[in-house]
Amino acid sequence: MSGSAEPMIRLENLTKRFPGQKQHAVDDLTLDIPDGEIVILVGPSGSGKTTTLRMINRLIEPTSGKIFLEGEDVTRVNADKLRRRMGYVIQQIGLFPHATIASNISTVPRMLGWKRKRIAARVDELLEMVGMDPSIYGKRYPKELSGGQRQRIGVARAMAADPPVILMDEPFSAIDPITRGRLQNEFLQLQTEIRKTIVFVTHDIDEAIKMGDRIAILDDQSHVAQYDTPATILTAPANRFVEDFIGARASLKRLNLTRLSDVELIHWPTAELSTDRESVREALLRSDKGSVLLLDENHRPQRWINAMDMEHTDTPLAEVGLPATPAIDEQATLYDALNEMLTSLQGAAAVVDADGVYRGVIDIETIAAAIRTMRAEARERYRGEAPEARETEPTEMTS
Amino acid sequence: MRDFLDYLDFRKGHIYDLAVEHVKIVLVAIAIATAISILIAILTYRSARIAAIVLGIQGASLTVPSLALFGLLIPFVGLGYRPVLVALVIYALLPITRNTITGLRGVDPAIIESAQGMGMGRLRRLFRIELPLAWPVILTGIRVSTVMTLGIAAIGAYVNGPGLGEDIFAGLSRIGTPTAVHLALGGTLGVVVLAMLFDAFYVVVGKLTISKGVR
Ligand SMILES: Nc1ncnc2c1ncn2[C@@H]1O[C@H](COP(=O)(O)OP(=O)(O)OP(=O)(O)O)[C@@H](O)[C@H]1O
Ligand SMILES: [Mg+2]
Repeated sequence: MSGSAEPMIRLENLTKRFPGQKQHAVDDLTLDIPDGEIVILVGPSGSGKTTTLRMINRLIEPTSGKIFLEGEDVTRVNADKLRRRMGYVIQQIGLFPHATIASNISTVPRMLGWKRKRIAARVDELLEMVGMDPSIYGKRYPKELSGGQRQRIGVARAMAADPPVILMDEPFSAIDPITRGRLQNEFLQLQTEIRKTIVFVTHDIDEAIKMGDRIAILDDQSHVAQYDTPATILTAPANRFVEDFIGARASLKRLNLTRLSDVELIHWPTAELSTDRESVREALLRSDKGSVLLLDENHRPQRWINAMDMEHTDTPLAEVGLPATPAIDEQATLYDALNEMLTSLQGAAAVVDADGVYRGVIDIETIAAAIRTMRAEARERYRGEAPEARETEPTEMTS
Repeated sequence: MRDFLDYLDFRKGHIYDLAVEHVKIVLVAIAIATAISILIAILTYRSARIAAIVLGIQGASLTVPSLALFGLLIPFVGLGYRPVLVALVIYALLPITRNTITGLRGVDPAIIESAQGMGMGRLRRLFRIELPLAWPVILTGIRVSTVMTLGIAAIGAYVNGPGLGEDIFAGLSRIGTPTAVHLALGGTLGVVVLAMLFDAFYVVVGKLTISKGVR
């Protein structure tokens, strides 16, 4: 499926039948998981996602079939050693409550016999990677962290020995929607740096579309209903099951396919908060947008200011105009951006990178343009297919 | 009351010696019982049924009155220190075994799964994760056993066992004389004080051995 390159993981005719059960929990599953991609297993409850994932690290031994890791048949190798080559994150995380965060993170490196110094350095590096200060959090215990922070530690712990593969079973689903969105963005940002092969289980199609490079939609017994990129699944669902699973509003969901880092952002006129009013006024005069975005000394967006706001000469610059916060993370999708604009009732939103530094501005027009492109592409693809290949015309694509 | 205080002052050396012997036999019994209990618990906790059977047997042995148990043991181990030690160990088993099994079975399955998923083998999981997490509960069991055996050890004097029971039984055997009450009261008070000291001791042990993360 990934072309000629060898897949990182290959599942071959994998079958699992639990003792005392008539039906197979997983029935003859064959799946290639390409190197460096996030592959999502998504499907209704009981479809066998967890069983499939746990067969990859052999927490569940397959009844029949084979598992290959980097071309090597690992169906019969020592399971503990195999697991040290794969990170594993579960919904409840399962941090060790009696161990410090540093000790939790260093679990696998210690088992692998790393030197003390190397372990300490790695722990610090990982904590920084997930945005937590090592000097503060290293010595803490899991109960002294928030749910979101625990989840970050779960991810850091899974990456500790730098395994090529990370398995994640609904890692974000026990977390409130706002934190979940933030964690998803952080994780995607991280993935652009680490490029791991990730198998990610969820039952949430929106999360699948947002997170996945590739999605396997699983029906009962892990039968693969469709295995494709999110874009293809949304524009050309293979069958009724997939259509139903995607649900209504497929076109709206397509907005989730595009991250802000992928679209051309608008270069809005900006000015530094610390500068005097005169230069802000000049920037305004030069601006063809009617307003200026004020940035703080770290280039983080602060306020939108227009000519009228400038007349309030007695209020400090930091308080005039409209707040430009919260700015949108560039890992967020067009869907998130649209949502943000509708919530804040502003036609535009500032976009920032992982450090909160200003990258550009997105407005409704950018999103409208993206929708037009998508529609054109979908029509193109639709025409390319033989008419009898499809039973019904996807109504939401006709304009 | 005055008399009793005078008596205590006069006998304090003797009572102290008895108390030391008392503590010694209890500590030995608890150490042996802890080792046996934890071993039994480790071997049985995975199966709810086997664990229930083991606890049932231990519970039944607890219902045998201590005096009868001492007597039953005499043909096998004779009089004195040994029947008392054996009986104390038998009594101390149940609370520790039960709490160890409860503690081990009570470890959050998600923690076990994540440990297993990181490639921790059976033994490593047991010693690094399960036992440390069960430890607060195990320690409570040890404390309960200790307090219980402190009292039972006193009855051991009936079969010539060591400890404060000696004074208690000496007092009971000469009821009616003025020293009788003093003897029995002195011995009993000694046991009560020991129980309180042990309680304080276990609080300190808990502070030192239970991870801050689970306290
Ligand atoms: N240990 C087990 N023993 C027996 N049957 C099991 C066991 N684990 C799972 N099953 C069965 O296998 C099927 C697949 O379960 P699985 O947990 O893989 O589903 P899932 O897709 O992860 O569902 P969910 O979205 O609810 O987590 C279900 O019918 C389930 O009842
Ligand atoms: Mg599941």
